[in-house]
Amino acid sequence: MLEKKICMLGTLAVGKTSLVRRFIEGIYSEDYQTSIGVKVDKKSVREAGQEVKLVLWDIFGEDRFQKVQASYWRGMFGYLLVVDGTRRNTLDEALALNQRVTDTGLKVPAILLVNKADLADQWEIGDDRLAQLTQSGWEIMRTSAKTGENVDAAFSRLTSKMLGK
Amino acid sequence: MMAANSILESFLAAQGYALFEYTGNGVFHPIGGYPKWCQNLWKGALARDKSIRLGEASPLLENFLIDAEGFWNSNREGSANSPVWIERDPSGRDVQLEATALHVDGKNVLLIRNLASTYAERQKLYQAARDSLLEHERLLREIQKKEILLHCIIHDLSQPLTAMRGCFNLMSLQNLSADLRRMVETGERESNRQEQMIRGILQAFSADLAGQQTATETAPSAADIGAAAQRAVQEFSPAFAEKQIKLQIDPAVDVSRDWIVAGDDSRLGRVFGNLLENALRYSPPNTTVTIGLEEKGKQVLAFVDDQGPGLPKDQSPDQMFALFAKGKDKPGKAGLGLYFCKITVERWGGTIEAETRTKGGTRFWFRLPRAAKTSRDDLNKKTQRGQDALPAPQKASKAVTRPRLDKPARSLRVLVAEDTDENRELVSELLKKRGHSVVAVSDGRQALDELEKNQYDVVLMDEQMPRMDGLDATRAIRQKEKSTGKHQLVVALTGNVTEEDKQQRVEAGMDGFVPKPFEMHALFDTLEFLAAGTQVIPASPMPPPPLAAKQRSPEQATQAQSPVPIEDVGAHLLRTTGGNEKLVKSLTKSFLADAPKRLAAIRAALAAKNAAKLDTAAHALKGSVAIFGAQTAVAAAKNLEAMGRSHNLSGADVQFRLLEAAMQQLQIELNKIAPQSKTKMVTRTKAKPPNSGKRRKK
Repeated sequence: MLEKKICMLGTLAVGKTSLVRRFIEGIYSEDYQTSIGVKVDKKSVREAGQEVKLVLWDIFGEDRFQKVQASYWRGMFGYLLVVDGTRRNTLDEALALNQRVTDTGLKVPAILLVNKADLADQWEIGDDRLAQLTQSGWEIMRTSAKTGENVDAAFSRLTSKMLGK
Repeated sequence: MMAANSILESFLAAQGYALFEYTGNGVFHPIGGYPKWCQNLWKGALARDKSIRLGEASPLLENFLIDAEGFWNSNREGSANSPVWIERDPSGRDVQLEATALHVDGKNVLLIRNLASTYAERQKLYQAARDSLLEHERLLREIQKKEILLHCIIHDLSQPLTAMRGCFNLMSLQNLSADLRRMVETGERESNRQEQMIRGILQAFSADLAGQQTATETAPSAADIGAAAQRAVQEFSPAFAEKQIKLQIDPAVDVSRDWIVAGDDSRLGRVFGNLLENALRYSPPNTTVTIGLEEKGKQVLAFVDDQGPGLPKDQSPDQMFALFAKGKDKPGKAGLGLYFCKITVERWGGTIEAETRTKGGTRFWFRLPRAAKTSRDDLNKKTQRGQDALPAPQKASKAVTRPRLDKPARSLRVLVAEDTDENRELVSELLKKRGHSVVAVSDGRQALDELEKNQYDVVLMDEQMPRMDGLDATRAIRQKEKSTGKHQLVVALTGNVTEEDKQQRVEAGMDGFVPKPFEMHALFDTLEFLAAGTQVIPASPMPPPPLAAKQRSPEQATQAQSPVPIEDVGAHLLRTTGGNEKLVKSLTKSFLADAPKRLAAIRAALAAKNAAKLDTAAHALKGSVAIFGAQTAVAAAKNLEAMGRSHNLSGADVQFRLLEAAMQQLQIELNKIAPQSKTKMVTRTKAKPPNSGKRRKK
């Protein structure tokens, strides 16, 4: 079976761990539990007629206590860059992190997930900004770990992109 | 020796460590056996000889071993550390681990630690720190939203002044009787004063909120606090009298002596004003409010005493002076007054406090340092030179009697780019009366098109416009000039007057600016001065407008800003245009023609949940309804603009319905002035929300 490493990247409290939990276990918790370190989970999916084992690296949000090292995304086949739609600064920080990824010469499929779609009326990231990002080449999906909106679809779409479909 | 090793291994195992020796090719041998957690987690990967391929057991170790091998092969001192990582054991429990690669006695050793005993504590610590960080972020966002709202409010307050001053300027060009000229003079003076106040507030708050201080604020000039106290008593006495409260200067104070302190008259007046408004709010009838001054070494102490209930017990003075702080019992307007006092006094090197008096009531006091080497005489000379604090009648008299119909040295070809129809018409009218030729367009894109076709001496460019704003249009002009070598004079017409705004204009390539609301002579002087080529890029060619020393009472101020009842809109227009019926009809027709499009643009922005478009569309409509005094419509448009600007559309549908209703009423009134065709300005959506995307004709 094919095995593909996927990294969840993004700054603090954007919902990376919640998205993974929703995808792996189908559950969501309102309590924010900050992540320390890297958590690795696995899930097999079927995409375009192929069985693929996804190895999900849920990488902590960087802050003054923990720095994300380039070695973490070594060997990854794709990544989900997660931002919190209600906090505009998370997009800037995510794009800076993305720059660090691309600076290493890594060119793998990626999707920008604007999370917390259940709080869309509080979003600080506007349609115009997202439209700009789309124009610059980003594939963007609005997700909600809370309601499950687009969560499976996001992993499925990334898998599909990794398979070159 | 063996016994010592055994003890050490047992100790490490008890501490949650597993030790391995790396023998190459991905194979590890345990040193001292496997701890239980290790067997439990990776038993499937153990070989018969008890060796283990850790890279196959754990994806994270597989990744880390590349770094570890690099370390072992380098002979570097120290160690290589993995991040903390979490694996799930067969029972579904999370196991937190950390790995370290070391050289020990010439062996390549890998130490893996189970963090079970310390992880919970570490997690708690990180959680607390990150919760604080997120809370800090949230508070910053709240402050930013309020700052935006504050700027919107101030910007909106200044918008109608543009039209008011334009009307006064036009009226002053007529042959007026002495009485009418005096009224026009008063109108001009008061609109000047209001503009100065708005600009001062905007600069004070923008500087404070951005943590910046301008040069003038770090080096205050001198002000006569005795005179400021006297003026404050004169101005506020009617308001106090109405509530049967006596306002006085402490009889023991000799106000005629030298009370010169660091500061400036205008803001010092506002500090007293804010403290008196506060005292007025809390003082019961038949009591006395007293302003006092005391010499305190190199400082002057000023206080405002009232005989009210004293300070609230559940609110500290620090809280009262905080931004947006409002009292619980009798809250003021926006929670800005005392905050303004605090930042102003502290900027001048002073302190401000409040306390409950032992005899009952409250004392608000502030100390200011005495101004260095400045006497009252010096100050009088200085203010006369700078015309910064002249009594209003003297100054206004000079302003009105100066020749207003002088022709300019040469007639200029002026391109006016302004999106608000009414402002565009006023500016064009004034410039034409002055003898210049004018072509007017309504956005930056049209301005660029017009410049392609015709030559202009100067472009007067509004900053906020749809399609292309003034800054972008100027950048495009400057970009093109790189190939032509010419220089088109571009002057901004703008309500944005902070240092940051000025810097943006300079960077965009603008040659100068006329602040909105503009004064007719400032407009003429700036354009003609720059067109004469005497100075290429002045930072701000416009001298500050005169500041009248006399201030109105709060009642008068409130009256001046009170909404115009919708049925009086015709009379209001006639008043504000000096009875110019032609101008009233022209403004009304233009408004009635454009308003449906502007309303439709707001509707479309809401339907698309496009905050940026909502901001622009609401701003455009707001600017045009303000001239008709339609305060409900202005307020609703302003709220929609603020929602768009802060990207928070919650409640926007309610505001839109309010706006629609107000616009419909306005249309009815305006149709009486300038009857239109059967076109409806408003097509109400009734029960449907604005984002339904469907319009139903009434």
